[in-house]
Amino acid sequence: MKKKTFNIAELICAVISLAVFFGIWHLGTRGELGKLMPGPLPVIEKFLQTLFGGKIGSSTLIVHVAYSLARVMIGYFIGAAVGIVLGLSMGWSPLIEAIFAPLFRIIRPIPPIAWIPISIIWIGLGEDAKIFLIFLASFCYVTQNAWSGAKNVNPEYMNAARMLGAGKSRILFTVVLPASIPPIFAGLQVALSSCWATVLAAEMVRSSEGLGWIIIAGMNNNDMNQIMTGILAIGLVGMMLSTIFRKVEARLCRWNRSEN
Amino acid sequence: MRTKSKKRIYMAVSCLSVLTVLLIWYLLIDVMKITKSSVFPGLVKTFDTFLSKLVETKPDGATLGQHLLESLKVCLLGYSIGAILGIPLGIAMAWNKWCDWLVRPVFDLIRPVPGLAWTPMFILIFGIGIEAKAMVIFVNSFVACILNAYTGIRQTDDLHLWVGDVFGATEWQKLIKIAIPTATPMIFTGLRTALGGSWMALVAAEMLAASKGLGYMIQQARYISRPDLVIVGMLTIGVVGLILDTILHKIEIMVAKGMNAQ
Repeated sequence: MKKKTFNIAELICAVISLAVFFGIWHLGTRGELGKLMPGPLPVIEKFLQTLFGGKIGSSTLIVHVAYSLARVMIGYFIGAAVGIVLGLSMGWSPLIEAIFAPLFRIIRPIPPIAWIPISIIWIGLGEDAKIFLIFLASFCYVTQNAWSGAKNVNPEYMNAARMLGAGKSRILFTVVLPASIPPIFAGLQVALSSCWATVLAAEMVRSSEGLGWIIIAGMNNNDMNQIMTGILAIGLVGMMLSTIFRKVEARLCRWNRSEN
Repeated sequence: MRTKSKKRIYMAVSCLSVLTVLLIWYLLIDVMKITKSSVFPGLVKTFDTFLSKLVETKPDGATLGQHLLESLKVCLLGYSIGAILGIPLGIAMAWNKWCDWLVRPVFDLIRPVPGLAWTPMFILIFGIGIEAKAMVIFVNSFVACILNAYTGIRQTDDLHLWVGDVFGATEWQKLIKIAIPTATPMIFTGLRTALGGSWMALVAAEMLAASKGLGYMIQQARYISRPDLVIVGMLTIGVVGLILDTILHKIEIMVAKGMNAQ
């Protein structure tokens, strides 16, 4: 089913559907609705204008993007590192699993966004609180996947390695770790998009820069154009993040491609 | 025998670990009082708050049960509309190439935006009532349901469809008897992802604009420095999310029996 050939009919359909979408949006906002919602042209105009030149709030759009991305990246990588280590050791050692599993099961169902108020009370309004939230978002998904990945390694592989005289640490690094990489990557991918949503929520609740701030400030100023510009940027960055991630994964897990 | 006793030891370790954490909490905060209770509440106080919040409306105007009911109402409303519209659309997109080609470009435009990013826009359009929040949750569950229904149908084995062809099944029969059963586990995965996402988006939306609901409750509790109430709210959110997911999983096992559901 996966044929990648150039298809004229498909292209025409894409053009038609996008044209209809933007057409309805453009025409719909010309009348009464236009007072409430800007059409596509002003939004794109504002987007291009503020990308490098004009300012939203205190800085240009690209700086806001950089703020949000920096927050995501710091929290994401710390959370991923801690999550992989904890998840693998939980899957590897029943004792560690017995200690941490119940605590993890209590924390995991609480959405990271629900931590916002308590993180503000504990850590304050600064960067640390936001990084903590993103850490939580990535930590939970990665731990869960690393844990189940390490637990579901085919026991025959481990027995075979043991029979061939591999020590415990040898089995961990040459059998369990490679076998858990695909689920870990799946966790990392979910974690990335969850982190992206979390940073927006955190910025919407309290911040003075970043994409979440753009849309919430737009709401407070009743500036729909600014909200739409923010949403456009959010969508573009989210799309970029997942594309880059998929490329990296295809690179690092090349041996796993045949299975999917 | 050995594995059984080992299991029992691990059980004991698990209980011990939870108890240790609770004990440390109790000792540090309740007994030694290393921080003020407006920063980190004691164990006893948090438990007390939970019990009194069940019946008392102070300080935010509703009991825990009323907040919970309000949140559930909004969440399930948006979620079920999203699922009812999303699953058939996803199936149609996977089954019919014209539908796919026409809908996909617009869908790809909307998909990368996290559901809760729409919150400010919907609040401006619909006000802070139930509609704005229901719309945010609708978008959330709609996207997840389409994606998973689509992937599920696409996973249908060509061989099974050929068998259908051989036995003279019509397109419609192939869809109903072969493709949809194949996709059912995947559709349920989508439903569960969507429910988790909806619950999370709802909390975010309620923190921004609401006058009732669990997200509103924890946000208000933060303003008046009542971390005990915040923790009660967080745990309630977590537990309810878990219960919703468990219910859906039970339904999945019932419906998708023998359709390689785990």
